[in-house]
Amino acid sequence: MYSMVQAGSMGLPFVAVRGLMGTDILKNRPDLKVIADPFHPMEKVVAAQPIRPDVAVFHALKADRFGNSITPGLRDDLMMARAARRAVVTAEELTDKELTMRDAPNDTFLPAIDVDVVVQVPWGAHPCSCGLLYGLDDAHLREYVQAAQEEKTFKNYLERYVAGVKNHQEYLQRVGVMNLLPAEKINV
Amino acid sequence: MSDQVTVCTPEELMAVIFSREVRDWETIGVGAASPIPAAGCILAEQLKAPHITLIILGSKEYYPFPAGSSELHFLAQRGELDLFFLSGVQMDRHGNINLHVLGDYKSPQMRLPGAYGSAMLYYMAHRVILFRTEHSRRTFVEKVDFVTAAGITPESVYREGGPTKVVTPKAVLSWDGKKGEWALDAVNPGSTVEDIQANTGFTLRLSPMVQMTPPPTEQELSVLRTVVRQKLERIYPEFARTKIRPD
Repeated sequence: MYSMVQAGSMGLPFVAVRGLMGTDILKNRPDLKVIADPFHPMEKVVAAQPIRPDVAVFHALKADRFGNSITPGLRDDLMMARAARRAVVTAEELTDKELTMRDAPNDTFLPAIDVDVVVQVPWGAHPCSCGLLYGLDDAHLREYVQAAQEEKTFKNYLERYVAGVKNHQEYLQRVGVMNLLPAEKINV
Repeated sequence: MSDQVTVCTPEELMAVIFSREVRDWETIGVGAASPIPAAGCILAEQLKAPHITLIILGSKEYYPFPAGSSELHFLAQRGELDLFFLSGVQMDRHGNINLHVLGDYKSPQMRLPGAYGSAMLYYMAHRVILFRTEHSRRTFVEKVDFVTAAGITPESVYREGGPTKVVTPKAVLSWDGKKGEWALDAVNPGSTVEDIQANTGFTLRLSPMVQMTPPPTEQELSVLRTVVRQKLERIYPEFARTKIRPD
């Protein structure tokens, strides 16, 4: 999978990958085919189609007006942004200062050239975590897992938190995210 | 004294067994959702293998790369990973593992997250140790419902390594490459050959070297419950607090 995304980011026609032989994955995936290795004809390898998503969405700690973005931790986001035809960044904070790689020594830097759209979305990773800004919302995740057990309760969940809210602000109020952190940390 | 050391959680026992499989100077990967192998490798580093290169996904301390988890994936694909740990919802006699579905692929009883790199790592890591905390007839089956990664491949397929051991709370199985199947290698404290066979969904041959697993030593348990527990808490807080006892 990584190879297929990387091949997408490199604009390759296909990529040869190790492993996979003898699995049922090959029976169910039209984008994977067994071929003879052209350089070692006695060997069989899997040729995989590149993955080129129409859109990839990343959630950033910070982004600037040019699209330069910093996503939390060490990640493969750059490869994915390049593989996608359009890369959208949602960010906790928009800064006036132009960001560079030096602003992200322990995080992942996405350069403006690989980003198409930036949107400011505070608490945008909820109920998941966002670097050191906020952690997992365990209580909400438990509520989701419980709701996902059955069709009816899952529909109720979607209605309450997705379809039934006007916007992100209303979602945040409904999940009570403002209560998760002390007030001084909210204005990040 | 021996009473005290044999009283440990199944997770602690498995971590100790993993630590004994580690060899010094190896490059070792620990994937997602694998707290027990992580504990075992950190224990080995503390006790007997100070020169290992340890890569634990989700850790800051044990992560030598500048980018994401593709780094571990491609390192293995280059043939540079000595030891890796995999699990599965089912594992079968011939070393196949299933991380995809229970039942029919097209209309499954349960759909699981999928291969997550295992369909390459199982072939390209030099040694792979499988593990499962549930040793039962539904986890160890004659034939998996779906082959996510295969134990055996024909000679025309390039393969660096593959299955070597299975570790559960009851037993250690070892891979018989000639016969292409698992054999019972060691019986863990508190278990018996009969109990293991009764909970395994295929006939287990006894390996010629079959033995009783030596119980965790006082030193192994005390290092596991102090230094290792503390380091693990930064990666798997909930697991470290609930499955590894404070010393």
